[in-house]
Amino acid sequence: MSLTTALPANSLDLASPRVETPPVLQVRRLDKAFQQRQVLRQLDWSVPAGRVVGLLGKNGAGKTTLLRCLLGLSPSDGGRIDLFGAPMTEPGGERMHRIGFVPQSFDLFPWMRIRAYLDFTAAFYTRWNRDLVTRLLDSWELDPAQKIGQLSQGQRQKLAIMRAIAPEPDLLVLDEPVASLDPQARRAFMGELLELMRRPGKTVIFSTHITADLERADADIALLRDGRIQFMRPLAELRTHLKWVVLSRPDGWAQLPAIDGLLKGSLHGQEAQLLIEDPAVSDLQAFADSHGASLRIETPTLEDVFVELA
Amino acid sequence: MRAIWQLWLQTWRQAVIPTALGQVLWFCAILLMLLNRGDRGGLIGSLGFLSMGTFLAHIGVGQTLRNLCRPESFLLPRFRLHLLGAALLDLGQWVLLPGLLAHWLELPYAGLIATCLFGVASLGLSIGCGRRVGLFVWVIAIGAGWKPQLATELAHAALDSSFTTPMLLLLIGALLAVTLMPLLSISDPDTEDSPLESMGLGRMNNSPGGVARPRSALAKRVASWFDLASQHALDVALSRYRRRPGARQRLALVRSLLLPHDNPIAIALRLVLVALVVTAYFFAIQHRQQFDAAVVGAYAILLAMSRFPQFGRGMLRMQPNLADLYLTLAPTTRAAYQKTIADALLLLVPVSVLTALTYTLLGIVLVHAEEPGRMLLTALIIAAAASLTALGVHLIGPTSTFGRGIANFVLILGAMGSYWCGYWLIGSFGYVFGGGLVAAVALSFGITVWLGAQREYLRRAPCFDALPGSPTL
Repeated sequence: MSLTTALPANSLDLASPRVETPPVLQVRRLDKAFQQRQVLRQLDWSVPAGRVVGLLGKNGAGKTTLLRCLLGLSPSDGGRIDLFGAPMTEPGGERMHRIGFVPQSFDLFPWMRIRAYLDFTAAFYTRWNRDLVTRLLDSWELDPAQKIGQLSQGQRQKLAIMRAIAPEPDLLVLDEPVASLDPQARRAFMGELLELMRRPGKTVIFSTHITADLERADADIALLRDGRIQFMRPLAELRTHLKWVVLSRPDGWAQLPAIDGLLKGSLHGQEAQLLIEDPAVSDLQAFADSHGASLRIETPTLEDVFVELA
Repeated sequence: MRAIWQLWLQTWRQAVIPTALGQVLWFCAILLMLLNRGDRGGLIGSLGFLSMGTFLAHIGVGQTLRNLCRPESFLLPRFRLHLLGAALLDLGQWVLLPGLLAHWLELPYAGLIATCLFGVASLGLSIGCGRRVGLFVWVIAIGAGWKPQLATELAHAALDSSFTTPMLLLLIGALLAVTLMPLLSISDPDTEDSPLESMGLGRMNNSPGGVARPRSALAKRVASWFDLASQHALDVALSRYRRRPGARQRLALVRSLLLPHDNPIAIALRLVLVALVVTAYFFAIQHRQQFDAAVVGAYAILLAMSRFPQFGRGMLRMQPNLADLYLTLAPTTRAAYQKTIADALLLLVPVSVLTALTYTLLGIVLVHAEEPGRMLLTALIIAAAASLTALGVHLIGPTSTFGRGIANFVLILGAMGSYWCGYWLIGSFGYVFGGGLVAAVALSFGITVWLGAQREYLRRAPCFDALPGSPTL
């Protein structure tokens, strides 16, 4: 038997990030609908400068829509987006020099050769790291003479990443950047990304399903669910606050034990498996003793957190 | 400046033929203007060259802009500003310089000449961007043909009026606004049609990179009617298949998947829409006293055949999506799968014949044709033969853009030419002998091509490779 309880999203006490530096991105009451379907509803979000933020959410949660709205690539239905302290209604102006974007699928300019495409793009930027481009072309085995239309999806993604990081942007927005990459390229990309972006004032926002990449990047985690950002916290903090508590007793549990801070739980045979925010170990031990149960506390993986809360 | 240079280079990379032709014509025209200094006739001829070059080059500019202006492009720093810079340079080459030259050569109306060149450039740009401004040009041409004397008087009055240039500039401004606003603003993309269908009544559904061309509210409304009809047809086919999962029902299901707009409701809707356009066109030119029935009939054939170019490209674009159909159908052999596809597509033949007959009938009514039977019989035979041929050619035909272009050109011209020949033969030798002769020659040709193509198609292994540069549906 498995019984799962879902708590209201706002019951999490992790909703607002601790803002130490001025936000590079500030979103207030953002709404976006496609015909009848409301994708983002009254979304509030603030991303301080200098953070690497992983945007998590199920398929269809609205991650791509949110990222495109942030950059003005998709018109929003209401709300306000401030990027680098100024309202973002649609892309344009000097601040575009400071933004890099990797779309989910790169379908642009199939008639162009890689070299021509990079030259074309570089012409618009005042800052363009040619050494980095040359190095990445070499290490990612992309032939500059090849046409974009002839590249595989993974190769196109590499090109999109290269094009986005070459201007050394202050804000890099990546929509599922590594989904099409092989593990080697993924690791290389994450290495390059962190090397480039782990500098003062550089911010990265990326959506992904590959939680291992977020763990490797030691990113802040923002969870998008029901059209809102449910919480944003550093991964380490999330791990400190959230624990798996397993209560086991021979005759099992008729229902989920009522414990303070319970976010989600399920019953499996003799065990009650509970995801608890800030568990008090002494109270839990007392609860276990009074119910004749054994207690086990584990740190959840990010994947566990994603599966349970997304 | 580097960005503007790169933007200028794009027209050479994407639309090399119109750009090269335009530039050659521009160069020749400027040279001729300098050589023919003092010769008024020669100068006017040079301006003709210049207009043609301007028009061609700006069709290329329009095509380039249409491909370049994606939402992601606007993330490039000061993209619009650089576009404006490129536009100003373009204006300098195609409008300002010839205008100044005309002024220096003491040609009368130099300002008006520059404005007209600007208008021609805007028109080319608009057509290249996929707007239907060509219709307005037709209206002007029809109007001038209808009342030539009035048109001449108006032209003379316009030349003498000081309002002409500002009015033309206003018109150009409106045209550019209508053309450029959708390209320079960001909106969520529309969903695409099936690659085998074209909502443009003959225009290609050819958007690279999967980005659908911006549509007007009316076009979106019409598309939604087609979508509703397609959904209804698919639901009907599905329920019939569930009730009785036979081969015929299965084929109907495959057809409604491959050709969603070839169901009775959508066909009727398409016919009504085209009939409305054609009727409006005929009413506009009804003052002309003489109509050539063979021309009207051939035009009906052209309209009916105009979907095959889209079909040829759509078959290639659809390849990766057909893998899913292949797995769903789970055919016993590859040839069986190919046969299912070929059989499903054969529906295009009766649909094209029906379309040709309807348009011919409409033409007969509108022009009060004297020999409706002759026109209808010719349309029936030629449409059947031509659609069989076109289907066969596109099923196995060339995959390159150039090859397909040649094939389409030959097929459509061939169909129209065959109509004229057939019409003449039936007129000369009567319905029985002439009609029999046309049917024997045309249909045997069409059937032979179709059977040969089908045999070749069945022999080939199914191909599910994506066309380079094209996303799947």
